Amino acid sequence: MSVTAPPPEGPEDAGLDPAPGRGSTVATRLTTHVGVGGVVTPLLTTLLAFVVGGLVVLVTGHDPLSTYKAIFDGTGLNWLFPWTSGADRDTAAINLQQTLILTTPLILVGLAVAYAFRAGLFNIGGQGQYTVGAIIAVWVGSSFAGMPGALHIVLAVVLAALGGAAWAAIAGGLRATTGANEVITTIMLNYTALWIGVFLFGLGGPLQSDVQREVPVSNDIVQSAHLPVFWGDPELQGLHIGIFVALAAAVVFSVVLNRSTKGYEARAVGFNPDAARYGGISVGWTYVLVMGACGLFAGLAGAMDVLGWQFRVATNDVQVSQIGFLGIAVALLGRNTAIGTCLAALLFGALLQGTSVRNLDPSVFPPELAGNLTTIIQGLVVLIVSADVLVAWLVRVRLRRRADPDPPATSVAAT
Amino acid sequence: MADDHQHRESGAPAPDSQGGRAAPGAQAPAAAGSPALELRGITKAFGALKANDGVDFTLRRGEIHALLGENGAGKSTLMNVVYGMLTPDAGEIRVGGEVVRVGSPRRAMDLGIGMVFQHFMLIPVMTVAENVVLGSEPRRGGLLDQRGAEQRVQELSDRFGLAVDPSAVVEDITVGQQQRVEILRALDRGAEVLVLDEPTAVLTAQETAELVGVLRRLRDQGTSIVFISHKLREVLDVADRVTVLRRGRTVGTVETAGADEASLARLMVGREVLLRVDKQPSEPREPLLEVEDLHVTDDRGLHAVRGLSLTVRGGEIVAVAGVDGNGQSELIDAVAGLRAPTSGTVRVAGRELTGADARTVRSAGVGHIAEDRQRRGLVLDFSLAENLALRDYRESARFGLLRPGRMLARAKRLLQEFDVRGGDPGTPARSLSGGNQQKLVIAREIGGNPEVLIAAQPTRGLDVGAIEFVHRRLVAERDAGRAILLVSLELEEVRALADRILVVFEGRVVGELPPSASEEEIGLLMTGSGPGTVQAA
Amino acid sequence: MSAAASTAGARGAVPRPALAGWAGIAVGVLAFLLALPPFTVRSPAPSFVLAVLAVGAGATALRGGERRLGIFAVVAGVGGAAGAYAATRSGVGNLETVVSWGALCAAMLRYATPLTFAALGGLVSERSGVVNIGLEGMMLMGAFFAALGADKTGSWLLGLLIGVLAGAALATVLAVFAVTLRADQIVTGMALNFVALGLTGYLYVDIYGEQGTPDDLPRVPDLTLHTDRLGFIGQALDQQNLLVWGSLLAVVVVWVLVFRTAGGLRLRSVGENPKAAETVGIDVLRTRYLAVIASGGLAALGGAFLSIGFVHSFTQNMTAGRGFIALAAVIFGRWRPFGALAATLLFGFASALAQRLPEFSPSAATLFQALPYVLTLIAVAGIIGRSRPPAADGVPYRREG
Repeated sequence: MSVTAPPPEGPEDAGLDPAPGRGSTVATRLTTHVGVGGVVTPLLTTLLAFVVGGLVVLVTGHDPLSTYKAIFDGTGLNWLFPWTSGADRDTAAINLQQTLILTTPLILVGLAVAYAFRAGLFNIGGQGQYTVGAIIAVWVGSSFAGMPGALHIVLAVVLAALGGAAWAAIAGGLRATTGANEVITTIMLNYTALWIGVFLFGLGGPLQSDVQREVPVSNDIVQSAHLPVFWGDPELQGLHIGIFVALAAAVVFSVVLNRSTKGYEARAVGFNPDAARYGGISVGWTYVLVMGACGLFAGLAGAMDVLGWQFRVATNDVQVSQIGFLGIAVALLGRNTAIGTCLAALLFGALLQGTSVRNLDPSVFPPELAGNLTTIIQGLVVLIVSADVLVAWLVRVRLRRRADPDPPATSVAAT
Repeated sequence: MADDHQHRESGAPAPDSQGGRAAPGAQAPAAAGSPALELRGITKAFGALKANDGVDFTLRRGEIHALLGENGAGKSTLMNVVYGMLTPDAGEIRVGGEVVRVGSPRRAMDLGIGMVFQHFMLIPVMTVAENVVLGSEPRRGGLLDQRGAEQRVQELSDRFGLAVDPSAVVEDITVGQQQRVEILRALDRGAEVLVLDEPTAVLTAQETAELVGVLRRLRDQGTSIVFISHKLREVLDVADRVTVLRRGRTVGTVETAGADEASLARLMVGREVLLRVDKQPSEPREPLLEVEDLHVTDDRGLHAVRGLSLTVRGGEIVAVAGVDGNGQSELIDAVAGLRAPTSGTVRVAGRELTGADARTVRSAGVGHIAEDRQRRGLVLDFSLAENLALRDYRESARFGLLRPGRMLARAKRLLQEFDVRGGDPGTPARSLSGGNQQKLVIAREIGGNPEVLIAAQPTRGLDVGAIEFVHRRLVAERDAGRAILLVSLELEEVRALADRILVVFEGRVVGELPPSASEEEIGLLMTGSGPGTVQAA
Repeated sequence: MSAAASTAGARGAVPRPALAGWAGIAVGVLAFLLALPPFTVRSPAPSFVLAVLAVGAGATALRGGERRLGIFAVVAGVGGAAGAYAATRSGVGNLETVVSWGALCAAMLRYATPLTFAALGGLVSERSGVVNIGLEGMMLMGAFFAALGADKTGSWLLGLLIGVLAGAALATVLAVFAVTLRADQIVTGMALNFVALGLTGYLYVDIYGEQGTPDDLPRVPDLTLHTDRLGFIGQALDQQNLLVWGSLLAVVVVWVLVFRTAGGLRLRSVGENPKAAETVGIDVLRTRYLAVIASGGLAALGGAFLSIGFVHSFTQNMTAGRGFIALAAVIFGRWRPFGALAATLLFGFASALAQRLPEFSPSAATLFQALPYVLTLIAVAGIIGRSRPPAADGVPYRREG
């Protein structure tokens, strides 16, 4: 299956290019338009998704405005308002901690998707890479009980990240050697990782809990390997330091992509693999490295969740997690930039937190519906973003034509 | 759709085409009055660029009418308008005297207009018969009548003397045969007007000769033919009349009887002299590029280069001339490290580089002006500075990090030296004009100070000014002692630039000629049947 | 070699290396079968002998240039030996419980049916040049709305119809975005999966709440053929759901439509070279719309089978990734209906086996669930080197001027 699309072609390509599209992927088209439309388009996209989501709420007989208000209050973002005080402020603080806990892996998985996009690859495998990271983190974290805490954490995190990288590199390697499309291979790797996880933690599985023989869950992370909590009560799931790891990863993402030779190679391959190869860049190796980097981010996300607040992995967690898809949504909405990804991750983290069952007042909106509402809104955001690319492209073409009144007379199409 | 396949069940072309075709040579009286196709004031703009600007064109019945013009003159655009692929901004189209709105290829076919595209519109994985009947399929009992389709194609093929195997898969047949499939398809739809866009660009000499025979036969049977080309000799040879386009406008229409190359050339480029490059005789030095007995396969695993040898010395331009598809692209790729040869050797300045990767070849001193600047030569979405760094971004990096300051400074210097206009170092390459994009590629490749410079079709699609710039620059680099391997399909360019001309045919060098050789001599060798064919060292 | 070999094969004269390859595969499978009921040979030795032969035949095929078949034969040989060894180590009683061929094949057909419908949908869509990652969501729409429709109208037939329409409706959204707006097909498809997941979940909870769908949900009837005495094939076919037969019929119908009609030729031409199709007067966008919408309807049929043909209830996210397996089956089956059927049967067999394997080891049975994905991974990685997707698959088409 080929997932290529014609590059945005101006009149000057039309004739010189007998088969437009070779070497230019949709992903590159997405990245081409970073910056076009600025922050306005993502905001409009989000707004539109909420409006359509609100319609669903309305049609099924609930009040969208009070529903959204209730969701917002559940996110804890009202902690930022100076007028929130007293008990409200304490509740808000706890909610905001939860929001940021959810934001952490979203940033990392978003980066995993965004980095691939910038190299012209579509990483649908964030889910599997995250799962592999989580599996390794829980295995390392629950073993080696005597190890010093800091060393134990570093070991678990590093191995989880490397595991995710290796898992993702399979897709990169297959793309490089056999041309197998990464969309298909990463989907397949997701489900393979899923069933490996279910196997490992399932009843009788090799990593199933030694204490609870009747529950399909892993052993617990040893206490000393928990990530330190710096805001809130560690007993009440306060905010762990993973958020800083995620933010640091975003900085690394930005520097590597824009300032390093490897990032230059990745971007060159993403925009035009033929030209990259012609320029002496090994396209295949770049695919492997890029996917490896993606897996690194996603594996890190798995480690943060496991060591930061989950402390164990049940087969059910592995099966219902949708973080890989959320990562795609985050990256697309964040336009594959570091800052955009962080902001989009915050939005989705808040949405997840705000609609979590315990936060909604059943008299306003049935909490058991909220999760599905979130899913609808997330789907709609991505749907609209996919068309938003087109809008951005149209804007850009117009701008270019206006800015270039005397375009190339020479390389014109028409022979 | 239902009715348009019914009258074809017999396998015959549409009956309405018989008026013109039934009596070869003798035109029906009613038809004689109005031209087959008339275009009045056709205008088509892409953005601010007017590809066609008030073009007039008249095709008489039963003539072969050439549409001549340089690359970019607007020939293809005009014919895409005629075939309904493009909608004109202004102007009118008359078919058989009546004003029509074409709008879609289907409508064009209904009007009796057929088109043979430069890049064939065929489905490679389907059979010849399936390709021909596609869009007007014979059916039986609701199913596709495969045998009926093959019969229909066979009959058509016999009738017009266009030999094809209806059951062959298109990707397995030769380019010349593929073209016949395209022609057959047009005839199958009852085309009275047949438009061929640069039909000889991909053909060997024999295939070209056969095509010309076919076209003459079709004309004698009453088909009116538009023959798009930018080759003067060919146009004089094939056409009855010629209309010349220049920069989107009609310059004039002349009878080929009485016209000669010089007069057509004058019309086409708008000035007396075609191409002349001022240069001193070369002073060849030591050999810098040596290729010996090279064998290379193409993407499909077929032998494209078969035992090719050549030597380029410092201070000379050696041109490789030949019909497109005789192994030129594979030769370039093998030398540039983009394709591993199956056997043979490549040496640059004495260093063996056979099968080395592109990076190694580049750092060994090979510059490569790629054939297709947009697909290969440039990353269009990169800035000019980033594009200029494509060769050597690693050399200027430190600890794996790029140094934007250096890249910028170098870009500024190169942009100025090579007179690249239309943007600063931060502008994306996409927004430059074709000529400036090509200058950008040349700036990068020469800026890398190579010993050997491969120039593949370096002036393709450029206007005259840009062509002159490129030619002067190549000669200057030759004089600076670089070894230049020029690969071009334009004989004029080859003769103007080269110090030695190597003619390739089917992956081998079949002869070496001095630049003073006539186009006839070179052309004859290009067919592989030249007299006294010598294997060049 | 590949083109020559395949044409030679198609015309009846199977070249020798290919013959060796096929023979190797057959012998490898036989090696395993020997150790299973009804033969139940209790010594691994005969199987090992056969396995060695299979590997030898595979090597011959490989040397003859038949890479794909050769690898398969070697794998069949090694796998056959391993399987036979495992089987001889386990108790006869266990073996006979697990390997009851009739029940196993019946289960295989049931598990394959939703996949077959969805895979046919994916095939039609991809043949027109649109990658339909949204199969999963369309199945889910079919599953929910068929259940809802059957419940509200009291008729399984109307339920089926409503399910199909719901799937087609979601597919129409895909067509609008992917074909008209030329949005990224993968992104759009993924988005629609989520919209469908959220929407069906939302409506399900809103309408049925805690109780779930009613127990008396109208069901698609079974067909009883009374063939249970005709060996295990008869047992497998004896009592199957109408939609199981429907899926097999659909394979034939789709094959005829796509490969034997004028419309099918046009569909494939649009997927291979849309511009060429347009130059002969074919409406590319209309063709793609029809293909995508048909794709949604087919996928929805698969979902409807799950809810009102198989499980007789709806649960949230009940398709559980089957849309992606179907996508894999399309690739595995090389974009051909019977190839896709073979793939879905294989995947169905793996599921049927996984359901029975817990007799031996519950956790190992889980690993079997990963089989379709691993096989597809191997398949796309080049053992199916000859398989070529439609050339314009996934490429949006835009008219010029």
